[in-house]
Amino acid sequence: MQMHDTIFEMNNVSFRFPDDQSPTLSSISFTIERGERVAISGPSGSGKSTLLYLLNRLYPANCDGIVDGEIHLFDKPADCYSPGEINHRVATVFQDPDSQFCMPTVEEELAFTLENLNTPASEMEERIRHVLDITGLSHLRHVSIQTLSGGMKQRVATACALVMNPEVLLLDEPISHLDPYTGKEFILWLDQLQKTFNLTIIAVEHRLDYWETFFDREIKITSDGRISEDTIFKPHETLRYPLRLHSILDETVISATGLSVKMKGNTLLQPVSFHAQKGECIVIAGPNGSGKSTLVKAICGIYKKEAEKFSTDPCGYVPQSPEFLFLTSTVFDELAFGGTSSKLELDDLIESLRLTEIKEQNPFAVSHGQKRRVAIGAMLADKRNVLFLDEPTSGQDESALLELFRLIDSQLDQGDTVFIVTHDMEFAAAVADSVVLLKDGRMTGKFIADRVWQDEELLAAHNLMPPKGVKLRAESFA
Amino acid sequence: MRNLLHDMNPAIKFITVTIAMLGLAFFFNPWTPLLFFFSILVLQLVFSRINWKLWSLFMLPFVIGAFGYLWTTIVFGAETGGTVIWSPFGYDMTDEQLALALSLSFRVLAFSSLSLLFALTTDPVKFVMSLMQQLKLSPKLAYGVLVGYQFLPVLKDEFFQIQQAHRLRGAAVEKSWWQRALGVRRVIIPMLAGAVRKAERSAFAMEARGFTGEPRTEFYRPVQIGKLDFVMSLVVLALFLGSCVCGMLLSG
Repeated sequence: MQMHDTIFEMNNVSFRFPDDQSPTLSSISFTIERGERVAISGPSGSGKSTLLYLLNRLYPANCDGIVDGEIHLFDKPADCYSPGEINHRVATVFQDPDSQFCMPTVEEELAFTLENLNTPASEMEERIRHVLDITGLSHLRHVSIQTLSGGMKQRVATACALVMNPEVLLLDEPISHLDPYTGKEFILWLDQLQKTFNLTIIAVEHRLDYWETFFDREIKITSDGRISEDTIFKPHETLRYPLRLHSILDETVISATGLSVKMKGNTLLQPVSFHAQKGECIVIAGPNGSGKSTLVKAICGIYKKEAEKFSTDPCGYVPQSPEFLFLTSTVFDELAFGGTSSKLELDDLIESLRLTEIKEQNPFAVSHGQKRRVAIGAMLADKRNVLFLDEPTSGQDESALLELFRLIDSQLDQGDTVFIVTHDMEFAAAVADSVVLLKDGRMTGKFIADRVWQDEELLAAHNLMPPKGVKLRAESFA
Repeated sequence: MRNLLHDMNPAIKFITVTIAMLGLAFFFNPWTPLLFFFSILVLQLVFSRINWKLWSLFMLPFVIGAFGYLWTTIVFGAETGGTVIWSPFGYDMTDEQLALALSLSFRVLAFSSLSLLFALTTDPVKFVMSLMQQLKLSPKLAYGVLVGYQFLPVLKDEFFQIQQAHRLRGAAVEKSWWQRALGVRRVIIPMLAGAVRKAERSAFAMEARGFTGEPRTEFYRPVQIGKLDFVMSLVVLALFLGSCVCGMLLSG
């Protein structure tokens, strides 16, 4: 019989930030045993991450938060641990691959972690070698972390956690900044490591469909910070988007022949040719560094381009961080900035993008989804009716994705053309009329969307995964 | 031999350079800074492998600055007396004025070349580690600086992205320099908003790995201090003293 070995225990815990009126978490009770793989799910802002930070003691000390109830970590009240004491037993990997490191190379970063624990210098060499060996990262030992891809950075962050020989690994949306292909590889890799180390894993995640059968328990948190369910984990179905009707009109908005981009003597993009229609939704996909952003920025006129023939309607660009576009201090001014639309047109636009409530607010202070709508509004107000959205799905939860879907759908219905750069093939399958595939600075071609989803070879050649929902649909038709 | 300046302990190098700089401030004759400037050049030629092209590029603004000092001191300098030695374009230039002007401009050269000696032969990360290990700089501050250093390329990238986005909106077409300077403010705000978030995340990541800011006892790669570091330090200081003595003798 297996011994019960309780790692964490929470008893009627509630947590409130000092500036908030209502608690972020309330009446939270659960226990976690050694070796469990637990997923904590819930909508954005439900306090999932807060819960995680209570387990690794980042909270309440870092935010002066107010905790009620009992938190036991390894059978000892959480308050008994001095700062940093728990962190080598409970290691954490965070979501943003770009802000988890403070040293230039992988080796130095691992050494930083060991120095924090006052590991004797004579042991460090062996522990670093061992963890790199077991995580399969030995070849990266002297590589500069900043030059690594997002997926590799997350593996390095995990290695830094494992070098402490922890008993528990906490994951805070570890794949939300990775493309699905890299994310899946990361999950498989993590699966092996969990077995090797017999780790207890607790992960906060809102896109559990990518994790398939990784977890064995799921704790669901509601938007007001309560546990609604604590059950055996069942694999999540892919988010189902509503069906979209095509809205392509017979009017060309972009026509390019032999469009190429050269910079400082390097050809970033080999000549490409394509057309785009009014009301068409085009997904641009391909591996990292394949020239997706280059293509978009060239069409929008941010990069210098060469072309045999090129004509386009005014193009609008919404970067992955929409706030990069903002220039003024209210949402209304942001839309009015270009001065192209009349007062009446602006009011219509604000109404249709549901910005009326936040019209007078500072665009930097609104939610991410609202920021994107403001950015799109600013583009449309400038009469830029060909929109380019750069990675709009990255890090979004289900309701945000559905909202994005509806937003794009309604713009297409109004006759705007929408280009979307994305790795999320489920989203792409839901919105796209056609798909432009790029690889190594070359365009493989512009395909009709429905054909691409069936062609697994073509997708795999571009580091893409076939969208799950579509496959199901094809089977059900047969 | 040509690694010596690069391998020197950064903290010792820093102290040595600081002493030389402070010392130099007390010498007002033109010869001391000039001699010291040439000693630094020789020192770098013999003991370092710096990129001289880069060095020249960095020196250029200082040389222009030095010439500016020379010129303005001669033309606009206060009357100090002394004998007139040259009268171009109706200005009377006295020997004392010339000495003062030369002294000022040679100082600029000496100070800047000394700074470059340090900057071009020191690895920033090793410097911070050395400050922490030898001069007991608080790890909180030291690692804070290192995180900032890691962020620089990311921030640079973001700066250009924001600028591109703004240009697309027709916001960054200002021509004069002061309009552009004002325009930078618009780029800085979104950058700072992002930087604050990043800083918090980094702090969390470091704390989650057991960083408490307490002084640490074990180092994976201790920055060593050896006899050679003190020898090099003495060489630099000897060159400085030599320049001081010769300078005083020459200026009588």
